[in-house]
Amino acid sequence: MPTDFPLVVENLSFRYRDREGAAIHDISFTARRGEILLIAGASGCGKTTLIRCINGLIPRSYKGEEQGRILVFGEETKGWTLARVSQKIGTVLQDPERQILGTKVLSEVAFGLENLGLSREEIFQRVDEALAFLKISHLRDRETFNLSGGEKQKVALAGVLAMRPSILLLDEPLASLDPASAQDTLDTVRLLADQGMTVLMVEHRVEDVLRIRPDRVLFLSEGRIRYLGDVEGLYKQVNYKEVKLPAERIMEFAKFAPAPAEMKILPSVADGKQETLVKFENVAFGYDVDREVLHGINLEIKRGDVIAVLGANGAGKTTFVKHAIGLLKPKSGRVLVDGRDTREASVAQIAGTLGYVFQSPSHMLFAPTVHDELAFGPTNLKHPKDQIAKEVKEALRTVNLSDKEQDPPLALSFGQQKRVSIAAILAMRSRILVMDEPTAGQDYQNYMNFMDAILQMPGFEAILFITHDVDLAVIYANRVLMVADGRLVADGAPQDVLRDFDRLNANRLVPTSLLELNVKRFPETGRFLRAEGLAHI
Amino acid sequence: MLVAWRYRPRKSFIQSFDPRAWIIFFLCFMFSTLAFWDVRFLSPFFIIALFVLLTSGVKWHEVRRAFLFIIGFITFFALLTFLTGRGGEEVYKQEHLIRQFTAPFSLFGWTPTLKITVERAFFAVSQFVRVVSIAIMTILIPYSLDPALYGITFKGLGLPDKLAYAMDLTMRFVPTFGRDFQLTMDAQRARGYELEKIRGGLIEQVRKLGPIFVPVTIHAIISSEDIIDAMDLRAFGVGPRTWLQVLQRNLRDYILIWVGVVMVALSFSLAFFGLGKFWVPEALIRLVGG
Repeated sequence: MPTDFPLVVENLSFRYRDREGAAIHDISFTARRGEILLIAGASGCGKTTLIRCINGLIPRSYKGEEQGRILVFGEETKGWTLARVSQKIGTVLQDPERQILGTKVLSEVAFGLENLGLSREEIFQRVDEALAFLKISHLRDRETFNLSGGEKQKVALAGVLAMRPSILLLDEPLASLDPASAQDTLDTVRLLADQGMTVLMVEHRVEDVLRIRPDRVLFLSEGRIRYLGDVEGLYKQVNYKEVKLPAERIMEFAKFAPAPAEMKILPSVADGKQETLVKFENVAFGYDVDREVLHGINLEIKRGDVIAVLGANGAGKTTFVKHAIGLLKPKSGRVLVDGRDTREASVAQIAGTLGYVFQSPSHMLFAPTVHDELAFGPTNLKHPKDQIAKEVKEALRTVNLSDKEQDPPLALSFGQQKRVSIAAILAMRSRILVMDEPTAGQDYQNYMNFMDAILQMPGFEAILFITHDVDLAVIYANRVLMVADGRLVADGAPQDVLRDFDRLNANRLVPTSLLELNVKRFPETGRFLRAEGLAHI
Repeated sequence: MLVAWRYRPRKSFIQSFDPRAWIIFFLCFMFSTLAFWDVRFLSPFFIIALFVLLTSGVKWHEVRRAFLFIIGFITFFALLTFLTGRGGEEVYKQEHLIRQFTAPFSLFGWTPTLKITVERAFFAVSQFVRVVSIAIMTILIPYSLDPALYGITFKGLGLPDKLAYAMDLTMRFVPTFGRDFQLTMDAQRARGYELEKIRGGLIEQVRKLGPIFVPVTIHAIISSEDIIDAMDLRAFGVGPRTWLQVLQRNLRDYILIWVGVVMVALSFSLAFFGLGKFWVPEALIRLVGG
């Protein structure tokens, strides 16, 4: 075996101790110096397991049956201590929040070096080098808790780079980032590869990664390699509905498929009545006495609105939306839901009108079965029993989890848990649905399917979703709100708000290929469409 | 992500010392306070605690919730002890009755009776002063100790690397747990769950707390696993580690440590010779005819 390959994986299989069936089967590939290998595939296809095998967490932290071997520069890693592995292979986990341990940037970046027992002088030197390389030296003495999502990601990366690994593993590094931060991260990855580092990047946002020209793509399906080769080959091997490809590519394939059926968005409001459901009147709010984070928000959510809320990490989007359900009360001004001031109603009372899907499913799932989890909300709202059974079935169908009704929700994958959390709110049949990052950590096919289904569900009179995905706003929204520094900086139809690319860039949003195409063809189409729709015009 | 306490650098008495010196002084203070029941002996500790509080630079709105909770908790238990007489029986043998209230009914042969005695009243006062003194000093620690120095502080106190870092994480786990609890509460309230409307027997009430405690517990376990992974991936615990932060003790820190050590030695000596036990003013006993 040539020893100049930084990484060789041979016939690797792994089954978790407490699960039936292997998570990955017979995976073999090599990675060259300076190569970017993109690892893609649906949720639960074995991407994270593969990463854990390579970085040594399997079998050290996750027990099970492992077969095959992994070689780093020709040496088999079996029997290596994690300290040895971590000096060769650096890992950045999906959510930087889960990786950062230090309270200050300096201590966070130095953590691995301290553990290796290096001298203080060398630690300072390496920390400063890593921070300078990532152009974040100015963050050195900041508290990690107060950093933005993109800054946290860079700090986590700096902590890994300071250990000078030859191979870098990135597990969905873009999942929680706004588009501009995602672009920064990708540029850094390209730079690292150009300097000779081998990069394995697991990512759902394939279109974004393609921009930095990955050398090869490894596409996993049910734990097996379905495709391994260059990007061009991926287009031929994988259905354009499975991974998010550039809009032009989707159009090339979609023009040979039947035209997509016209969606009946919010069928309950077909009568066209325009009543105000939620009203923000000069709302201001601050978590601390001396710092305001929302300033003078004025807004009406009307019947028939499908609103996408866009903005950078930390812009105040979640804080703003939490006011609508009364979880936060304004410091000044007021919020009216169905004409009632949120200060005069409990959250539980408002929940009957406005359903709110939280960002993280792990903060809400508790029931022994998915069925019980979904029945919890409607039961609290005192829906009749036979109606609850119907609502649960319908919600499960919408998120494509009908076969999991009797499974424990906490045993499902993260993507499935996220869908359970959405279904739990759908089952409540509130008139207004609010979702905070509904597609984060989901694979493309799944989230497009459930977004299609949710928007066509009967009962909802308005839907609002927070997202970093500009394409979701293009495809589904009929109104876009842009939040920056706690202020509403834009409010209007997608074609009006999103065509101002300068404003998008100023708000850390990046025009996508689909948006660019839609803007270009707007005189012809008169509205924004998904790529499959554009292919037939 | 682990959340830190709301520490801010302040020009205060407590923050003018090396954190190791302050922790040692705090432990000495706590053990010294616990050596006494006599309110006259406890008063100096209460005054020290008040002095540290007033010079801490911590704003009332920052600690309001913590203080209201702790003081409410202590008041409740002091009151309970006062009303039931339980808890004080170990420190006094004889009681002098001020007034007695007897219920005009009996339950299975037992007539509820409330005795107000000099000893019970003074025991409640002593208990309150004792616990409040310790509580004030304890509450101020997270607001005054730089979270970035937790690990090196415990290392500097002689703990091994792993234990010192574990203590660092534990200190930060408490506010993190609080944040997760609040997030779970919010998520369940958004599903129509109302904690305040839980009804039924004790077991039923505990069962109905499941929507809060299950996610909070599971989230804590998952977060712990994440933390362990993140530490493992950066070679934690493989050998002696370097601590980047360096603490330096000055003369005043040594003085503080010596004050603490002398305080605890003196307190234990006094207690050993039988001083500082529960005390009730003789005049008060005479006043009630004892």
